[in-house]
Amino acid sequence: MEIEFQRVGKKYDSGQEALSQVSFHLRQGEMAFLTGHSGAGKSTLMKLMMMIERQTSGQILVDGVDLRILSRRAIPYHRRRVGVVFQNHQLLFDRSVFHNVALPLQVSGVDPEQTAKRVRAALDKVGLLGKEKYNPMALSGGEQQRIGIARAVVNKPQLLLADEPTGNLDPKLSAEIMNLFQEFNNVGVTVLVASHDLALVARMRHRVLTLNQGRMVNDGGFA
Amino acid sequence: MPQKNSRRGATRQSVKATKHRWSKRSSFSLKLYLRQHQSTLTESFMRLLNYPLASVMTVMVIAIALTLPGSLYVLLKNVQSITSNWDKQSAITLYLFPQVDDTQALALSHRLSARPDVASVDYISKEEGLRDFERWSGYTQLLSSLQGNPLPIVLKVIPKMVVSEQTLPVLETLRKQLAAQGEVQNAVLDAQWLERLANILSFGQRLAYALSILLIVAVLLIVGNTIRMAVESRRDEVLVMKLVGATDSYIRRPFLYMGLWFGILGGFFASLCILILSWWVSAPAERLIELYGSHFKLQTFNADEIVLCLTISAFVGISGAWIAVNRHIANIEL
Repeated sequence: MEIEFQRVGKKYDSGQEALSQVSFHLRQGEMAFLTGHSGAGKSTLMKLMMMIERQTSGQILVDGVDLRILSRRAIPYHRRRVGVVFQNHQLLFDRSVFHNVALPLQVSGVDPEQTAKRVRAALDKVGLLGKEKYNPMALSGGEQQRIGIARAVVNKPQLLLADEPTGNLDPKLSAEIMNLFQEFNNVGVTVLVASHDLALVARMRHRVLTLNQGRMVNDGGFA
Repeated sequence: MPQKNSRRGATRQSVKATKHRWSKRSSFSLKLYLRQHQSTLTESFMRLLNYPLASVMTVMVIAIALTLPGSLYVLLKNVQSITSNWDKQSAITLYLFPQVDDTQALALSHRLSARPDVASVDYISKEEGLRDFERWSGYTQLLSSLQGNPLPIVLKVIPKMVVSEQTLPVLETLRKQLAAQGEVQNAVLDAQWLERLANILSFGQRLAYALSILLIVAVLLIVGNTIRMAVESRRDEVLVMKLVGATDSYIRRPFLYMGLWFGILGGFFASLCILILSWWVSAPAERLIELYGSHFKLQTFNADEIVLCLTISAFVGISGAWIAVNRHIANIEL
């Protein structure tokens, strides 16, 4: 999936300007990092791509389509093409690992046999195949994050977004998680990872976008 | 020129590819869709069982709220059936002027009994009237002290038509015609009780409608509130479902089914309450009516009415859920 931001701004009703004049172009199959201090607008940028929020100026093109033309009813279908990983996992603790990962397939009406096959494939990819019947609560922080990744990729998205996916993890686990993203990128998925772990980002040797107070201050160089 | 052509060809190809991808993604299976609905239906019922006390209380509040208008309806239905069976002979009593004498009165009586809409005419002379009055008033001494007989001659006209709500206007016209006779001072149709009863019935009906509307609104609010709490308790789940691309209708569905269950169960217990109530009052009610000399069998909720009650409550349940869900899932955002 190809993403293009053209002078995108987001101003909240309170008057606070979260993003202003942000422009960048993420090519099909590219992997990039988004860095910046907390409050710089990383999460807002992710939310705009997910259509959780809408920009107040500029335009966002996804595969050449301006997101502004999508109606409210079209949002779920847009989200099915995008996988998201959150820092706080957003896992549901009232169901097993399997059912957490199966959720995106269930909501898009995939039949149960197909769902089971794809959930196992996704869990296999993140190395949790043996733990599908566990409650996520019983697993470690790193494993929980990998459940979140399995859920994000189970629908075979064309774009993978991750918002501080390694926030609570130690360096070794963080590196493992980053390598997972690298693997998805290797098979052609466009990946954008928001992270403030500059050392880790630098080691990955990918394009780095840096936000400072809502403005894009660096695009391209390594951090 | 060739360049243009090849470009157009490429566009066509990409359109084709998009179409293909789209049809693949949206391949709609009715069987799968129905299976999803069925599993949501059972899941939402199981969820009610997860919170048995809260669910039972909600269902019982709905049942009680529906029992009230329901039993009022049964009461009205019975009163109506009693009165519609009361096709009784009525009379129009003509009080003649005091100066009208027996010959004139008899002539009038013959004239009236010849009318096609009159069955018979009872002639009650002044003396007869006084005797009757003495008998049921007991004022014998008082009456004997009177100078003359103050009572007028009375003709009791029995119309051919029996009195009922439908024939009342016809009888009223007859009464007016009779009152217009020169000898008649006053004509009274003794079916006014029927008019009063009709008024009481329409009063009761309006009361029942008003109560039904109020209580149905109450049920809507009860279901709405319960569903609101259910949405709130599943906030995380709704949020995650939204993020992974669930449509609003998909998110709504389990809650609508929950409302449906509340409605159906509430309607079911309301019907049960009404059946028990009418069975409980039937014996004294039937004895009471029989004292008035008419045979009476209390009517209760029949199958059609139970189905109607369930339909209405199911509909109200879904509507209450719909309102609550729409208001609350929109508020759940990351």
